[in-house]
Amino acid sequence: MRWACLILLMILLTPSTGWGQEKGASPGGAGAPPAAPSPQDLQAGKRIYQKWCMNCHGAQGDGAGPAADFLRPRPRDFRQGLFKIRTTQSGQLPSDQDLFNVITKGMPGTGMPGWEKVLTEAERWQLVSYLKTFSRRFARASAPPEPIRIGTQLPLSADSAAEGKRLFREIECFKCHGDEGRGDGPSAPELTDDWGAPIRPANLRKPWTFRGGHTPEALYLRLQSGIAGSPMPSFADSLDNEKTWHLVNYVMSLWQDSSGNNPPLQVVLKARRVEGEIPAQPGEAFWQDQEPFYYPLVGQVIREPRLFVPSVDGVQVQAVYNDRELALRLVWDDPTNSKADAEQGTFEDAAAIEFPVQVPPGAKRPFFLMGDAELAVQLLRWGSSSGMTELNGNGLDKLQPQSESSQESTAVGEFQNGQYQVVMKRPLRTVNTAQDIQFETGRFIPVAFFAWDGSNGETGGKMALTSWFYFFIEPALPKVTYVYPALAVVIAGGLQWWVVRRLRQTKMD
Amino acid sequence: MNTRRGIPLLVKFVAVLVGVYVGVRLVRPPLPSSLVMMYMTLTVCGVLVYVSIYAETWQEFSAPLVELFRGSPERGGLWQGGRQVVLGLIPLLLGFGVYQKVTPSFTPPAEQRVVHPAPPFEVMGLTNPLQQRPDRLQEHLELGARVYFQNCVYCHGDRFDGEGHFAHGFNPPPANFVDAGTIAQLQESYVFWRVSTGGPGLPAESTPWNSAMPKWDTMLNEEERWAVVLYLYHQTGWKPRTWE
Repeated sequence: MRWACLILLMILLTPSTGWGQEKGASPGGAGAPPAAPSPQDLQAGKRIYQKWCMNCHGAQGDGAGPAADFLRPRPRDFRQGLFKIRTTQSGQLPSDQDLFNVITKGMPGTGMPGWEKVLTEAERWQLVSYLKTFSRRFARASAPPEPIRIGTQLPLSADSAAEGKRLFREIECFKCHGDEGRGDGPSAPELTDDWGAPIRPANLRKPWTFRGGHTPEALYLRLQSGIAGSPMPSFADSLDNEKTWHLVNYVMSLWQDSSGNNPPLQVVLKARRVEGEIPAQPGEAFWQDQEPFYYPLVGQVIREPRLFVPSVDGVQVQAVYNDRELALRLVWDDPTNSKADAEQGTFEDAAAIEFPVQVPPGAKRPFFLMGDAELAVQLLRWGSSSGMTELNGNGLDKLQPQSESSQESTAVGEFQNGQYQVVMKRPLRTVNTAQDIQFETGRFIPVAFFAWDGSNGETGGKMALTSWFYFFIEPALPKVTYVYPALAVVIAGGLQWWVVRRLRQTKMD
Repeated sequence: MNTRRGIPLLVKFVAVLVGVYVGVRLVRPPLPSSLVMMYMTLTVCGVLVYVSIYAETWQEFSAPLVELFRGSPERGGLWQGGRQVVLGLIPLLLGFGVYQKVTPSFTPPAEQRVVHPAPPFEVMGLTNPLQQRPDRLQEHLELGARVYFQNCVYCHGDRFDGEGHFAHGFNPPPANFVDAGTIAQLQESYVFWRVSTGGPGLPAESTPWNSAMPKWDTMLNEEERWAVVLYLYHQTGWKPRTWE
């Protein structure tokens, strides 16, 4: 049998060619920073800065490059030596490694990308050296910053998370981060950073947007070091090692997916068939059992008026249908329940689903941004004050609500703890076939989503959006789907019984 | 062949099959399933030939199978229970296989898309007027940078690789200018045309209804558009294609 083992071994070794691809990825900079950068290093760092960084962070490192006004959070002003993501104690400068890591990995949820693919390790260290010249604090520091020591980790458990939840109230995290952690606390709207720019507390349920990553250690460090330049203080005085881990565990217990990664994008939104009445209330337990689909939303930067800093960054959608109607449940996080107010420049909050009026037979379809002159779209829009409206669009500036008699959709929506939940319903088929899409099972229907946060000045073309995805109403399964497998089981069982009987007979012989 | 005892032949048989299957599945890039099927058929045939070549090996190989189907009264309760489970599972697994086969699977229609459609006649061969003024290069590059970082960066990104912070919201994804397949193989006039008319200016074969590229001639003047084209080539290090 030696040959068989050999073959097995060979087979098991073949794929190793495919596994060796991760070689190039060095883990967060193995190399050490140069102790004292040479003038050549600083010159090289300056050239890199001017090529890649200056247009956001400014030629003088003042965070006022041409892109600065169009980004939120704004690019960092380096002159104060205040850096968000540190492993060092409260009030201290970041370590060189901290700066290096942010340059390497970027900052999730912001306009800062990782530079690993573009800059070599040596170049990133040169950049670190150059960045430090923008603030005098680095040159003045007599000793290197003291790192935070991470004590023994308490594993994530229900008890620990419950204790963390208690601490969350006790040290008043909820005041900014909100009762359920969606960044909707009572103080949230007034928060500003050290430069006076409005700043948002993290939505603790979206760990993929955490600026310094979402490992347990990263969360621990943010609690202990604070986020410099932002209203997030250090809790080193009130939280010992154990309490810090409880709080970390509480935050992690809020995540829908324990990995903390963003929900996977699914190209096809599926509507499942259900029997009987579909619950109209978005809070009903029924909806917990329906498959969720998540779509990231981005700013509408295609037509004027553009929105560069959208508030809503994603929407979760569930869809079911019965004999008569289609029901869609939309859930999205929005830190404020906005009211229309002309003086304040605020509007109602809203979300909409877009379909083409005619499901295209070929590839051709309306322009995803509210249709075009040739092909119209239909919008099912729910507003926090105006309720449900059906509209038709032949372009962003040609959007018209349908007549009163053609409004056949209904919706129930509610706002709670920084989250909207809305169930929209529409009959599958309508009378107004010229303006309404007629929903048929088994077809791939283009679908897109929009959201408006009125407190962020979003109305009309200023909105967060997706481009076209697919919507698919699952047809009832044909009967053969059940008949053939049953038949197969019966035949296979019969054959097997026959084999067993034969074998027993031969034994008797 | 019965010189060596130890692992039963049937177990080896299964081990070889599993080993080959896992090995074939681990090959990257993944092999097409028809090829996997062919390899597995070959393996099964080969191993069957091996076990059936002598009467003794065939006996050794088939005995446990025969025993399983026939039943063996002298075996213990655990074995008897296990036998019942296995015999029950075989038809059910087959049924499940059939169920998987007959359940209709729905895949969205494939989207064909021409990435670089032919430009209209009037934009062919235009030259970048800013190239005529090398003395003002720095000024033009600064203008191009400002235009890029106030308009394009959200999708095309700080690294010019099409991975801006809004890029994940759009399909088709924003163009990657670093890639050798975009501006590197295009003329400046072509890039200027794409910037100027955007998604809505695409012909039908390039699915204009899906493109999030704005029609920039409504938001940027001609100099700004030429400046951003100049800046793109400068930053990425590519040279625009020319007709020699």
